[in-house]
Amino acid sequence: MSILHTDSLTKVYGDINHPIPAVQTVNLTVDEGEFLAIMGPSGSGKSTLLYLLGGLDKPSTGKVWLRDADLSALNDDGLSRLRRTEFGFVFQFFNLIPVLTAQENVAIPLILDGAPRRAALKQADEALARVGLADRSTHRPSELSGGEQQRVALARALVTTPAVILADEPTGNLDSRSGDEMAQMLRRAVDERKQTLVLVTHDPRIAAYADRIVFLKDGKIVDENRLKGQDRAEQIREQLTKMALS
Amino acid sequence: MTTQTHHFRATVWQMALMGQRYLSGRKLRTVLTTLAIVFGVALIFAVNLVLPSVTEAFEQSLSTASSADIRILNVTGGSFAPGEVLATIADIPHVQAVSGVLERTITLPTLADNNPLGDIVQIKLIGIDPAVAENIRPFPMSAGRFLAAGDQNAVVFAAGVTELAPELQVGTTFSLITATGLKTFTVIGFIDEQGSLSAPPMYMTLADAQSALNQPGLINTVEVNIDANADEDAVTKDIENALGSSFQSDTASSVMDSVGALGIAFSVLDLLGFLALFLGAFLIFNTFRTVVVERHHDLAMLRAVGATRRQITTMIMIESLLQGIVGTLIGLILGYLLALAYISFIGQFYHTYFAGITIELRLIPSAVVLASVLGIITALLAGYLPARSAGRASPLEALRPATTARVNHAARWSLIVGVVLMLLAVALLLSGSSGAVGGALLFLIGMLFAAPGLIIPVARLFGPLLTLWFAREGDLARGNLARQPGRAALTGSTLMIGLAVLILITATISAFDVLVTNLTNAAFSSDIVLIPQAIAIYDTVIGADDSLATRLRALPETQTVASLRSAATESNGQRLQVFGIDPGAYPRGASLEFNEGQPDTAFSALASGRNAILTPLARSALGLEFDSDFVLETVDGPQTYHIVGVASDVLSFKVNAIYISQDNLAADFHKTEDVLLYLRLNPGEDTAAALTDVQQITQDYPQFTAYLTSDYGGDLIAMTNNVLPLFYALAFLILFPAALGLLNTLTINTIERTREIGVVRAVGGTRGQIRRIVIAEALLLGIFSAAMGVVAGVAISYGFIGAFGIIGWKVSYTFPLLGIIAAVVIGVMLTLFTAILPARNAAKLDIIRALQYE
Repeated sequence: MSILHTDSLTKVYGDINHPIPAVQTVNLTVDEGEFLAIMGPSGSGKSTLLYLLGGLDKPSTGKVWLRDADLSALNDDGLSRLRRTEFGFVFQFFNLIPVLTAQENVAIPLILDGAPRRAALKQADEALARVGLADRSTHRPSELSGGEQQRVALARALVTTPAVILADEPTGNLDSRSGDEMAQMLRRAVDERKQTLVLVTHDPRIAAYADRIVFLKDGKIVDENRLKGQDRAEQIREQLTKMALS
Repeated sequence: MTTQTHHFRATVWQMALMGQRYLSGRKLRTVLTTLAIVFGVALIFAVNLVLPSVTEAFEQSLSTASSADIRILNVTGGSFAPGEVLATIADIPHVQAVSGVLERTITLPTLADNNPLGDIVQIKLIGIDPAVAENIRPFPMSAGRFLAAGDQNAVVFAAGVTELAPELQVGTTFSLITATGLKTFTVIGFIDEQGSLSAPPMYMTLADAQSALNQPGLINTVEVNIDANADEDAVTKDIENALGSSFQSDTASSVMDSVGALGIAFSVLDLLGFLALFLGAFLIFNTFRTVVVERHHDLAMLRAVGATRRQITTMIMIESLLQGIVGTLIGLILGYLLALAYISFIGQFYHTYFAGITIELRLIPSAVVLASVLGIITALLAGYLPARSAGRASPLEALRPATTARVNHAARWSLIVGVVLMLLAVALLLSGSSGAVGGALLFLIGMLFAAPGLIIPVARLFGPLLTLWFAREGDLARGNLARQPGRAALTGSTLMIGLAVLILITATISAFDVLVTNLTNAAFSSDIVLIPQAIAIYDTVIGADDSLATRLRALPETQTVASLRSAATESNGQRLQVFGIDPGAYPRGASLEFNEGQPDTAFSALASGRNAILTPLARSALGLEFDSDFVLETVDGPQTYHIVGVASDVLSFKVNAIYISQDNLAADFHKTEDVLLYLRLNPGEDTAAALTDVQQITQDYPQFTAYLTSDYGGDLIAMTNNVLPLFYALAFLILFPAALGLLNTLTINTIERTREIGVVRAVGGTRGQIRRIVIAEALLLGIFSAAMGVVAGVAISYGFIGAFGIIGWKVSYTFPLLGIIAAVVIGVMLTLFTAILPARNAAKLDIIRALQYE
């Protein structure tokens, strides 16, 4: 069953004399419980597409549907509510609030949604435990390693049990071991909790964890792949090379 | 509790927690921003504590020790014949006893070192009728006896006076100034009560008081006792109705005029406090813009995970509120300390000139509330726009910077609006006094609007100058400013306002100085002047009857003696000093500067009929026109006077006062004492020798000190100049918030260009070159602010000085060259100084971390 669906989605930057198309007429469907990776060269519009899917940005034309909710019909407060309850975001650069502890950072979406503080912090502790950071809950981001910070960000994304997790280069700032751990945790979230995950990456090893990959070039979907077999990362590399040469 | 309420409280608490954490994470910035509120709150709080305390001290010094049920005074405060008044009151039902009193608080001159009156500087002379006084209240004696009918030159003190004059005891004789010269009095007893120590009461017979004050047969107060079960308010009303509108119960004394003058000075300080708060608001606004820029990632993230705009706005506003609260609390403490310091300083001043007044600082709730509300509201208002702007940004906008095209478009519109406002302002400034203040403020506002649009042209104009000093870095600096003209203009505007105010204050001080000097030189055309203990307001002065003037005229070297007499009254609800002059002699010994009317015509008109010359302040306060009539309250009822001139001298220009003839003063106010005397000598006389002769005479009238007029004029000018450093210091203090604003902006600029700085360093730029870029940018900003500040300062000083014409002060505008030079130098030096820290921080940035900065 489809959970995210786009209809001729387009985003153009710049003005009328110098338009810069970032996403062009993208029709994409993401099924519930699917792990979708979006790949492409730099400037292909991957992050833009992700932001449009999560309601962080408004399309120039076209629509985005979350189940049967048209995101373009929602006002800012409506989109904010969706981001609190239906979406979970993981960014490349962690984006933790430096003055809050790990626990408080994770609890933010719950508190913003009106949960009592004590209950929110308890849920945050549980989310931190799931990412293996139960003993670091009182530490501030500056006291955590890069990998730990990204795990806190992941816990924050998971704490509201969102329908869709959107991750923009979540391993881009991590070493390969931490990156693998992150990717495994994301995979577990999909498998164990049937959450949908849309992940933007340029790393074939990380994309190999996905059920499906869409390839973007110049803002358009140029290829799609449901990978099977052991050497998925290698297959992805070959596909990327072919795209680069074409 | 509803879910919505719970939701709101939970998020507010979370936002407050984050706000508090952010504030404590940036301690230096938090302190600096908080200080923006502190100064303004402190000044306003101090002013609103001190003035009521001083006022109260004056009121207490005038309040009598009497415990009469009701006290009746003439509305003018002047003296009147007792007969009919006492008889009328005695006939009122429930009135038990009536007693006529003549009393006045007088300032004592310094007599010999062994003067038994010791440290007493002011005394309340109370003349009573011993036969009836004890019907009003008992006078229990602790030593000696009370006054009896027929006593002459005998006095009774309250026992508390011995704290100030331990040598006083029963039988002590002492010299007391009177209108007829020094007289010797004997202490015959002490009343068993403390009495006021600021002006200890001294009782004598009514006849002695009438002689001492040159008020034969007159009283100025009626004390009334009523039946124990009578309604005091009702009886008071009955008395007032019976006596008519010329009398009222216990009116405030005209000494409040001197507090009124003090009030003007404090209003200026209040105004400076408001200005400081305004500049503080600018600083907070600037700081929170910094905060929003610095935290744009955090804010974007919060929006991304579902924070609404309102929640983001709330967070910034809570931070603003927290800073406002802390700043206000510190400001209140500092303000209290400032008030304490001022009271201890001014107490000595008042002890000299108003004597015996003890000023105690009280914590006045309304002052606390006023200062607190102003401080917190300023912080909230200043934080509102940045908070709203932060909330309005979409998550992605916060992650991406504003485009240059949008910024330049805004700056252009702002420039157009600003130029239009400035043109309107110039028209107002040139239109005359009434438009001057409005024109000045409008010009300032116009400059604030125009500033963003002027950044780039000014940067281009001064760029070559900058390149002389910063050959390689100047271009980079110019480009940096041009990239964010709004922010540069805002910072420059803060400094511009500070510099403009500095120029305004220096121009005003210079103009005032010139005014006082001119008035002083014009006023004293005599050779010798006899000055009492207090000038301008003479209510605590015992003058001299005509015996002094007669003795002065008898000196062979004297050509003319002119005198000034004084009373007080009100007109149209305004307190007025009434000066009586001899229209024939006065212009020969002194002179008035006329704003309207001609001296010859005006003076001769004073001699015939009820005509008056008003001081410009009185004319403005009463809203009267030259050559019109007005009603003056006299002792015997209202009288119509005609305005034949508007004029003043250096002693009266700051006072609501009128000049009438001495005959009219005697007839309408029963005052015949000379309180100021001018002597003109025959041509060629030896002034020093003449002064010696005069001083021999004034030994019998120690309430006067004789000066050569040239010396006294110089002393007056020097006295005015002594106050100037305080105003210059205040002018400099205004620059403090401006300096903080500069520091903030230069800090933001450095933060925003972290990656760019990393690139410059990575391609070979040295730390020194980075420092020089920041300093060059600061210097350009300083030059921009100084240029704008000079233009604004000249305009607003022209406006404000022109506005003095509204109250009739002929203050001519002098181009404030020194102020301008000072402003330019200070502006540039200040920006260089504040650039030191950001320059250092920029130079210290780690190259790799800078390159990775988002």
